[in-house]
Parts: sequence; C-alpha cells; structure tokens
Amino acid sequence: MLRYAVERLIQAIIAIFGVLTIVFVVMHLSGDPTLLLVPQDASAEMIAQLRSQLGFDRPIWVQYLEYLGGLAHFDFGISVVQRVPAFDIVISRVPYTAMLAAGALVVAIGMGIPAGIIMATRRGGWLERLLTAIVVTGQSVPTFLSGIVLIFFFGVTLRWLPTSGSGDFASLIMPSIALGAISMSTFARMTRISIIDELGKDYVRAGRARGLSLGSVVFRHVLRNAAIPVITIAALEIGNLLAGAVIVETVFAWPGIGQLAIQSIQSRDFLVVQVIVLLISFVYVLTSVIADFVYALVDPRIRLVR
Amino acid sequence: MSAKFASIAAMLLALTASTALAQTKDTLTIDLPNDAATLDPHLQWNTDSYSIYRNIFDNLLTRDVKGEIVPQIAKSWKYLDDKTIEFQIRDDVTFQDGSKLTAEDVAFSINRIIDPKLKSPQLSQFDQIAKAEAVSPTLVKMTTKSPYPALLAQLVKLSIVPKAYVEKVGDQEFNLKPLGSGPYKMANWQKGVQTELEAYGSYWRAKPPFQKVVFRTVPDVSTRIADLKTGKADLVRDVPPDQAESIKNDSNSQVLSVPTERIGYLFINAQGGVTKDVRVRQAIAYAIDRQALVEALLEGYGKPVEVLGAEPVFGYTDKIKGYEYNLDKAKELVKAAGAEGATVEFLTSPAYSRATVEAIQQMVNEAGLKVEISSSDQATFLKRRQGDPANAGGLAFGAWSCACQDVDGVIFPLFRTGSIWAKYSNEKFDAAVDKARVILDQKERLKLYEQAYQVLKDDVPGMGLYQAYALYGAAKKLKWQPTANEAMFVMDMSWQQ
Repeated sequence: MLRYAVERLIQAIIAIFGVLTIVFVVMHLSGDPTLLLVPQDASAEMIAQLRSQLGFDRPIWVQYLEYLGGLAHFDFGISVVQRVPAFDIVISRVPYTAMLAAGALVVAIGMGIPAGIIMATRRGGWLERLLTAIVVTGQSVPTFLSGIVLIFFFGVTLRWLPTSGSGDFASLIMPSIALGAISMSTFARMTRISIIDELGKDYVRAGRARGLSLGSVVFRHVLRNAAIPVITIAALEIGNLLAGAVIVETVFAWPGIGQLAIQSIQSRDFLVVQVIVLLISFVYVLTSVIADFVYALVDPRIRLVR
Repeated sequence: MSAKFASIAAMLLALTASTALAQTKDTLTIDLPNDAATLDPHLQWNTDSYSIYRNIFDNLLTRDVKGEIVPQIAKSWKYLDDKTIEFQIRDDVTFQDGSKLTAEDVAFSINRIIDPKLKSPQLSQFDQIAKAEAVSPTLVKMTTKSPYPALLAQLVKLSIVPKAYVEKVGDQEFNLKPLGSGPYKMANWQKGVQTELEAYGSYWRAKPPFQKVVFRTVPDVSTRIADLKTGKADLVRDVPPDQAESIKNDSNSQVLSVPTERIGYLFINAQGGVTKDVRVRQAIAYAIDRQALVEALLEGYGKPVEVLGAEPVFGYTDKIKGYEYNLDKAKELVKAAGAEGATVEFLTSPAYSRATVEAIQQMVNEAGLKVEISSSDQATFLKRRQGDPANAGGLAFGAWSCACQDVDGVIFPLFRTGSIWAKYSNEKFDAAVDKARVILDQKERLKLYEQAYQVLKDDVPGMGLYQAYALYGAAKKLKWQPTANEAMFVMDMSWQQ
C-alpha cells in the first residue's frame, strides 16, 4: 500500500510538471501581454520598452528557469496585469468554484443516482422512457444555452431567483443546476448500467428465489456493489465540473477560477494562468487518489489486492 | 377630539408623503463586463478599470459634456514658452483621508507615470513630458521634450495621486487600497465580484449624488441585460446594437447612447499581397457600402464617415469626401489591376464584430476578389497585424479611439511610416503629420491634417467606415448624458423618482 502510494505520488508530480511546462511554452510562444496592455496608439519603441521592463524580451528558457526558481521558494510571481501576487488572485477565487462544484455535485448525484436506479429497475416502462429523455437532454444541451434559458425563465420572467452574482444561497441554485445537468446524466447512465450488471448476477437470482422483493435486493445488496464504478465517475466528474465551470461562471457572473482563467488567458496574464493550471492538476490528482481510498472502504477486497 | 385626531392623521400622512417624495436612491449599481484590473490610475488603461477609478480620482484637467478641455485640479494654465507650461493648482481640494492636495502631489503624479520603474502601460501617452516640479504650493511647472500640441488632450487622462500616501504604503498596497481626491472613496473591493465606493462627504465640487456605488463584474451581455430588467443593476455597459431593442421594450429600462470618437475602420495593406496595388485598394473602397453597414449591423447606432476621424476629434475635416459606393467602378479597377479572383486574407479576432467582418467580406467579394477570413485570439491577431507587412493580412477591421480627441492619436499611429500599425509609407503624409505634431497653432494644424487626409484618400491604406456609438442600458429613472470619451462619471448622474 505504501509503495503504491509513493508511486502514485511520483507519477502525479511528473504529470503536473509536464502540464505546467506545456502551458508555459504554448502561452509564451503565442505572444506576450505587452500588446494587450498598452493603449493602441503606443509607438513601437514604447512597446519595446515596456516589454523589456516586464522581462518578456528575454529568451523563453531564461523565463522558464526563473519561474521554476520562484516556484521552489513557493513564489508564484506578480501578475503583470493586476500587479498583485498571482497566487493571492487565484486563491481568493477558489471558495467560489468549490461552492459551485459542490452545488453541482449535489444536483448531479441527488438527481442522477435515483434516476439511474429507477431506469434500471423499471425497464421498458413509461417512467424509464421519460427519464431517458431528460438524461439525453441534460447531456446534449450546451451549458451556455441552458444557463441563459434558466436566467430568462426563473430570473427575468418568474423573478424567483437572482439573475447573476454570488451574494447569497439563492444565487447558487441556477449555476449549480446548469453545471450539474451534464454530470447528472453521466451519473444516471452509470448507475443504470452498473445496477443492470449486478441484477444479472447469481446472488441476486438467489435472493429473489428466497422470496426477497426486487426493492430489498437492490437496496440491501446491489447498490453497494454497483457503487464502485459510480465512485470512479464521481472522481472524474470533479475534473469535468471544473472544465464546465469556465462557461457557467461566465454566464452567471460567478467569480470562480473558471471565469478568472478565461480572463487571464485572454489578457495573457501568464502567471495567473500557471497558478490555475497547477491548482487544477493538483485537484485532479487529489480526487483520483481519494477515489482509490474510497474504493478500499467500500470494497475491502481491493485493499487485499494491493 | 375626533377633529383633532383627524388633523394629526392628516399631518402624519402629509409627512410620510413628503418623505416618500424626498426619498432618494441610496445605492447605484453598475454592471461592467470585467472587473478592474488595477485601481492604481497610473497603471491600467482598460475601460473597466477606467470606469471605476475615475470616480475615485480627480484629474489635472477634464472635458465637459461638450468635449471641451476644462480645469479640474488645475485652475488655469499658461505656456511660458513652446516647451514649458505652468499650472495653477486649486487650494481647496483634499484627499479622502483629509490631507490637503498641493502642487507637490501634482508634480509627483506626473513624474510617477513617466518613471520607467513604474512600468506603466500608459507611459506612451505621456512620454513627451520631460519633468514636472512644484514651484510653490499652488504652482506646477512642466516641461516637454519638444512643442507638443496634444499635451492638454493627454493630460485629461492624468489622475492626481497623494504623494505622502503612495510613498508610505507602496505601489502594490496603493493599487488595492487607492486613495484620491474624487467624489467617491474606496469601500470594499472583492476581486472578480464587485467594487464598492462610498461618497466622499468633503468633496470640493459638490455632494455626490449617491451614497454608495457598486460596480459588479458581469461578463455575459445577456446576463447584464437580465440584471437591468430585474432591477439588480441600474446601469449596464457595453450593449451591442442588436440587443438595444429588447431593452427599449422593457417598461422600466431605457437605452442611453452617444456618438463617440471611436471609429470603425478598415485597414488595407499597402505593402503586402494583392492589395499592394493601389487600384485594388481603391476598388475595395468603392465596394464598401458604409450606409448599409450602419443600417443593417448597427441598427442606426452609428454614422457613416468620410474620413478616418469623427467630429469630437480635433483635426476632423468635412472637406475631404470618401469613396462613394460604386460596384461597377470597383469591378473595373480589379480587372484593370489583373487581380480578378485573387485571394485577400482578412485578419480578425473575437474582439471584433463577426457580422461586420462577414458583411465586408461579402461586399469585397462582389468586386471580384476572394476574401478569406482568418480569425485568431486577440494577442495573436495583434502580433500579426502589428508585425511584418508580408504577414499582416490584406484587410482587418478595427474600432479605433485614442481617448484623446485629437487626430494625432488616430492617423499618426495608423499610417505614419515605421509605426507598428502602418503597412504604408508616404513622404507627403509623414511630413504633414510630423509637422502637425510639433506646432501649437491650431489653424495651421488643421490645414496640415486636411493635406494628410487627402493623401490617405488617394492611396487608401485604410478607410473610415462609421462613427461608433456607445450604448448603455439604464433604469428609466437614471438621468445621465453619456459623453463622447466613454467616461462614466457617477458625479454627472442623478436619480428621478
């Protein structure tokens, strides 16, 4: 178990380092922020002067080594656009994205798993067809569209929920639904397949033969076994939620790291983008490690194997 | 007894009625597309930072509603010689911490922005200034490197910061907790969420109209409009013309618009590709129907222009006419140049209206050329557009404003030989704009700009398409006249019950 953990950790560090390097190179090759910072009537000399003051005229490998040197001292640099430490900028946005991801996960799990159970146990019925239709819709409508539709229906027409912002719990509802919709579909499908798989197994048939109802077999035995693939999905969905947050946060003016990422990429605010990349890779790695541990809790056999 | 009771009741009623009438709006909420990047007025130049910090700081000079340069912190000014100017400073102004604003602060502000150590992206607008010094508590002497007629127009953008405070807290802290002498002081800045300003009670000009102003960050335009309709926002910036109708249809909202100094223009590469041939460039100019662009794409929120410049800009002229729309002439010229079916690359980025780009593509195609659109992100677009002429594309659409209301800031950077934007070189043009840059006589300058415009008309390295309007969505009760320079002074707004 310990060796396994150490191996995973080393792999994770290599992965994060690789992602960081690729992002650094790609962003630097596609241009620096100087042109976006100056007024449009600035002269070539002025732009060159500012570029050199900001240090973007040095070879890319020099900038890269300096960046790594900073990282070694936990120094993430100063944003050239905002002129404050890049790390502080990103960290101040994390609680918002965490809140949104949690809200979306509640929507996705709270609706997706029951829907999956019903779809698996009521096969062929009208309820299954209705839920399938909802799941397919949830998965295929792009988030920016569902976001705008939600805003105009619940915000402008019915006036039930605030149209944008982050001040109170009510503002969290619509973004969570918009973001959770796609994951909800994934959970529903995974739960359905997983349960159907289990239902075909011997222990279920044996249980049924002993006179147990379908409901009690499902709730006492099947769900526990069917949970493992669903937990894997939950871990992977955290990553998808972070990606989806980019659009949802922009539509709902939700001040999380997704919105910040878009703005920082557009303004070529390299150091802020790098911190976001580091953070997201870190979350990916962390969630997959946590998923491994949760497996072990749910199914003790996994612990024996490793 | 009952009569007495009735009269008391009537009095009470009258009292509540009058307080209801006198009740004013306490908080004004404004939706901006982005958060301020910085609130240090010497660092950033983007519109959203500008919209916020100009309410915190006073400037040396400002422009009135008509666009005239008028005093603000400087009471008056006079030229001692071509390169030296003296500013008389007001003595009744205090910063929001109560300290007095003096000539020292003004000199410090000027010297701060031109100091390379600050790394100010705005330096290019003030780099003609050599230095400033406080001669007395109310007198500042400023020298420029050469005679510089656009100086006052640029100084309109120079905010005055408190020397003692900036030196005490340092640049980074000042950016997060700015302190100025303007009508509103910083209350709370939740980055990416909103910036709250509070009225500064001792403001020297008058009492600010709202106790509190909240600038919210709302990137998506549909969401901003939804905020306006539900009353979550009182004013929203950056409304595209095709959304104006939906605001007008809302009984509680209105569209506020104003012709700006911003010009929609078409760049035509004179040094690369098939557009190197002047006949091809002229053909393109004949093929563009400016009136149709304004009517179809801007819903009337724009005005076709003859030259690359608009009325609020000094140096604008109505003596030079642009090319009229004439497709036959355009086709003839393309044929004469032997360029039929030649490919012209049209560079663009998501920052520019895709509909406008496609409409222009269609118009130029009809003249017999084949326009191919290349879209990239803004940084890549700028890198190509400002780089080597051979790689800068044949066409590009832009929306230009120097926010200085002087044509020096428009055609000089766009077409002067050697400028990063120019893919064009003409000695006659260079001579005219160079000379207009260093003489102070306005009549003489205007004549030189007319000459320059004539050269541009003959050579067509670019053409003006339309004068853009700034569009805002506002609550019906908000009274405000937006200005040509796209500034957002809350001080000029009021609320009518």
